[in-house]
Amino acid sequence: MSIVPLQLARVSNLLRSNLATSAISRTQAQLLDVQNQLTTGQRLNSPSDDPGASAIVQQLQKLMEQRQAYSDNIKHAQSQLGEVDSSLSDLTDLLQQAQQIASANVGSDVTAQERQGAAAVVKSLQSQVLSVANKQFEGVFLFAGDRSTDAPFVDAVGGVKFVGDSNVLDNVYDENTQLPFMVDGAEVFGALSTRVQGTVDLSPRLTPTTRIADLKGATNDGVRLGSVQVSNGTITRIVDLSNADTIADVQNAINQAGVGGITAAIAPDNNSLILNATGSDNITVTEVGGGTTAADLGILQKTPAGAGVALDGQNVGAQVTLLTKLADLKLGAGIDQTGLILTNGQTTATVDLSSAVTVEDLVNAVNSSKTGVLAKINDAGTGIDLVNPTQGVAMTVAENGGTTAADIGIRSLAPTTKLAELNGGKGVSTVNGPELQITRKDGTQFQVDISSAVTVQDVINAINTADGGAGVTASFTTTGNGIVLTDSTGGAGQLSAISINFSTAATDLGLDQPASGSTITGADTNGIEVSGVFGNLQKLRNALDASDQAGITAAAEGLKDDYDRIVRVRGETGARVQELDARDNRLQDENLATTKLLSDLKDTDFTEAISRFQTLQTALQASLQTTAKVMGLSLMDFLS
Amino acid sequence: MSLIGTLNVGQSALAVQQAALQVTGNNIANAGNADYTRQTANLAPALDQKIQPGMFVGTGVDLTGIQRQIDEALNSRLRASVSDSQAADTTQQWLGRVESVFNELSDQDLSTGMSNFFNAWSNLANQPQDVGLRQVVIQNGQSVAGDFQNLRKQLVSLQTDVDDRLTGLAGDADQLAGQIADLNQQIVNAEGGAGDANGGANGLRDRRDALLKQLSNLIDVTTTEDKGVVNVYVGSEPLVIGTTNMGVGLKQTTDDKGRLTTEVIFKQNNGTMKVTSGQIGALVNVRQQISDTIDNTDNLAANLIFELNKIHASGQGLDGFSSVTSSSAVSDPTVPLNDPKSGLKFTAKNGSFVVHVRQKATGLETSTLVQVDLDGLNGNDTTLNSLASSIDAINGVSASVNAGKLVVNADSSDLEVSFSQDSSGALAALGVNNFFTGADARDMAVNQTIQDQPTLLAAAKNGNKGDNQTALAIAALESNKLPSLKNASLKENYQAIVNGVAVSAATAKTNAEATQTVQQTLEAQREGLSGVSLDEEAINLMRQQRAFQAASRVISAVDELLKTVIQMA
Repeated sequence: MSIVPLQLARVSNLLRSNLATSAISRTQAQLLDVQNQLTTGQRLNSPSDDPGASAIVQQLQKLMEQRQAYSDNIKHAQSQLGEVDSSLSDLTDLLQQAQQIASANVGSDVTAQERQGAAAVVKSLQSQVLSVANKQFEGVFLFAGDRSTDAPFVDAVGGVKFVGDSNVLDNVYDENTQLPFMVDGAEVFGALSTRVQGTVDLSPRLTPTTRIADLKGATNDGVRLGSVQVSNGTITRIVDLSNADTIADVQNAINQAGVGGITAAIAPDNNSLILNATGSDNITVTEVGGGTTAADLGILQKTPAGAGVALDGQNVGAQVTLLTKLADLKLGAGIDQTGLILTNGQTTATVDLSSAVTVEDLVNAVNSSKTGVLAKINDAGTGIDLVNPTQGVAMTVAENGGTTAADIGIRSLAPTTKLAELNGGKGVSTVNGPELQITRKDGTQFQVDISSAVTVQDVINAINTADGGAGVTASFTTTGNGIVLTDSTGGAGQLSAISINFSTAATDLGLDQPASGSTITGADTNGIEVSGVFGNLQKLRNALDASDQAGITAAAEGLKDDYDRIVRVRGETGARVQELDARDNRLQDENLATTKLLSDLKDTDFTEAISRFQTLQTALQASLQTTAKVMGLSLMDFLS
Repeated sequence: MSLIGTLNVGQSALAVQQAALQVTGNNIANAGNADYTRQTANLAPALDQKIQPGMFVGTGVDLTGIQRQIDEALNSRLRASVSDSQAADTTQQWLGRVESVFNELSDQDLSTGMSNFFNAWSNLANQPQDVGLRQVVIQNGQSVAGDFQNLRKQLVSLQTDVDDRLTGLAGDADQLAGQIADLNQQIVNAEGGAGDANGGANGLRDRRDALLKQLSNLIDVTTTEDKGVVNVYVGSEPLVIGTTNMGVGLKQTTDDKGRLTTEVIFKQNNGTMKVTSGQIGALVNVRQQISDTIDNTDNLAANLIFELNKIHASGQGLDGFSSVTSSSAVSDPTVPLNDPKSGLKFTAKNGSFVVHVRQKATGLETSTLVQVDLDGLNGNDTTLNSLASSIDAINGVSASVNAGKLVVNADSSDLEVSFSQDSSGALAALGVNNFFTGADARDMAVNQTIQDQPTLLAAAKNGNKGDNQTALAIAALESNKLPSLKNASLKENYQAIVNGVAVSAATAKTNAEATQTVQQTLEAQREGLSGVSLDEEAINLMRQQRAFQAASRVISAVDELLKTVIQMA
């Protein structure tokens, strides 16, 4: 309450009453304010009561509201991961049972009938594992990644196919804390453990329509667009590239800037930009205001290279996207578009790529081939992988007379394939002395020693050397995958290739095929098979059915790997749940602290408010009494 | 020197004391009148009579004037302080109302609504395939849109209230100025243009002072006085000059931003009146402030709409579109999309987006890049027509422009269309696959198409139905620094709006207390000089009564002396 400064010679009656009125009404207003604070328990009733404090209050309230979302997310993640954990626990139990069955059925004291009985148990285990794999939680398939609307594992021809996705969902659990609340079903069930990874760098050439967003950037950090400063030694211009979307936009912007005769173009190496100089242009390109645009575009040049010298930029790393044209791949060399022959188990499909224009067309052609095989651009954006999502069957990728598979680097068997990789990694059996015996049509036999061969081509060379280049020649097929033996002797006999010296080399190399006329076309013995949980269970069941002890042991080993992997994933899941628990506790602690702070700022300090209330009450009483006394006093009373 | 002379002395005393008594009586009668100025009767000895060379005798008392006890300088300071204190009071009152519209610090404010809305997106990210959670997002979106609309409506209605009040006050001010002009006439007539050196038309002058004070309540005025005439100025422009009232009126004009503003003018010449204080000055400022708050609210809503739509337009829902029509119409489909002539509220920039055509049966997609060329070079910038024809060129899709709106249809019921990777903002600007429709707080709403078919609400970014990247990006939007908000986030911007009002209201509150103190001090000083003290008047009364009685005694003494003289004869 402010006091009216008074230095007056005389006091009029009106002044006295006015002062009394204003003093009383002011005290009453303040009393009302305190009364309001006391009855509501709030010190701040509107932000203007204390703008500084209320700004903080608003921020804190917002923080609490945001934390509510974090807390909800944590609860959801905890229950979903809890469900995952119990599923994984079920799964390890089932796999343990399978392993026990396997070890119980190895040995001479078990009969074939008993093994067949065990196979029936494994069959039931298979369906239990499938139901765990397709478990739902609140409408979400736990192991389906971001395709969680449909069951991720489905029965397919000869095996179980993964139709989920390896992309797992994240959510935010605290400021700057983003964690996945799913586990990758493909990893848990080993669904995609093997794939044909494209071995060829398909990086496309730069075109005017290449999007800046699709570049890896010269420093592999992407291209962060801003302005660059271009100078030819006399003229210097700032070129704003922040609105550029494509390479053409960058070119246009630099060309429009009119820095001497400097023009931008795509360099002849097809992977970088080039700034061409005219006449005496002495080119420098520098960053503006701490940006990285010039460096990202590979055209940063702080010291000029000399008059008239072009600035040939660095590789900006254009990435393969679905929209990339096939003709632009491999820096514009393109790929052969004859097509592929895909085999998955018993299903074979010819993928015709003759009318494909973009990578997406290729991907669609593969994905719709009915073999279940999927094509994907690899994570680095440099190539294309083929994935076999079906467990229990093998996939091969072969040429259809062209070089498509080789160009992409996805041919499952090629002359360069190492023998050790064949037959699911078992390789090709070698013995002391020759392993192969080939009988020509003219009846002549010759033997081939492939002990020193490392690749398929080495085998071909060995065969050709063994027969001296005449009679039977070996080559690699152009349609399909395999070694081709061609007999030019024209005899009446039967061309054949067999293993000798107790080796299995002919089978291992796929050469034990019946001859068709004067040729034998070998089979692809490098089928890509997913050895996941379902595949291994199926192998176990087959081996039990066939009473194949070696098969049972092999399947048991596979199941052991699966078991170990799942235990590891379960451990990771458990750790994540613990982390979330810790975060939840911290959030609650923080909320408590914030609530206290809010209360300090917002709530009435009752001790202070009550004592203020009493002071004001006393003041009001004093005002009223003084006023009553003073107003009642007048000289008029004493006039007679 | 004569007895008759002495009799005259007594008579003059009687007459003068009678007049003084009347002045005292008048003072007492007006003791409770705040507009009244205490008057004093000025007495002076009457002219001496020379009775001998070098010897003079008094002839009684003269009344030289009845004067108001007034300090004009103090009065004009008082008027200025009245203007200021009224202005602060009014500002405080109205800003308090603005503040209560926001209802901040409670649990029912817009800020909580926004939190709920963004939290709903965050929750959708937990189960992006869920339709029920989409409903929650939509409902919270509707409530945020409703809150924005409501906030704006209340602010506009507050502005209308200010206008109404201003109209009333301008009328009052005009009337007061008219009355002052009239009183100027009456005072000149009464005083004959002599001014008040020896006391003037005190009652009329008091009344005029009262009117001036009332006028200062409304407008900050300054005055000059010249021979009984008071000229009233606002700034340097005259409002009342002599007996002419220039009049106070209002004019509504549209400013450069297309907003309706209210201006105070002189009615006679339509000139702008620069009112800076008083109730009218305060209301003009408050009106501006409300207007700014509406603009800020609109700007916030526009940013929320556009930024959210930019993310949403590049996302995909559980279903694709069999047909989609843009929600914002273009007024001229032949001008570039970023041309103001296009009539779009939001501006697209140079960039591109991808159109996906999906075969529902196989799930196979074909994607096509659509360039949005807005670099302003080569005269080939994208217009709505050219955009429609480049979309139309995509296999399986037909696109056309209908009444300024882009219509995209899948060619067959086996196909559906979706969009992604929009770096141009063109889809959001046109309102294709958008979450919010509308341009600002005035017409913000959740897209009716999404309300009707919640499966179109986009949570995914990579085309997979169970993906949540769009939902995550939108959930994070509230805290993202936006260049269009000068690198503040949506929530910071909202807090800045609320705090702006709060600080103004708090300042007004402090000002109101301070100016009130100044006014009271000045009023006390005025009362000290011009107020009536009954005790003082009681003393005057006694003095004058005694003087009258004594003068009567003189007359009766002279009378006796005269009787003696007459009896001598």
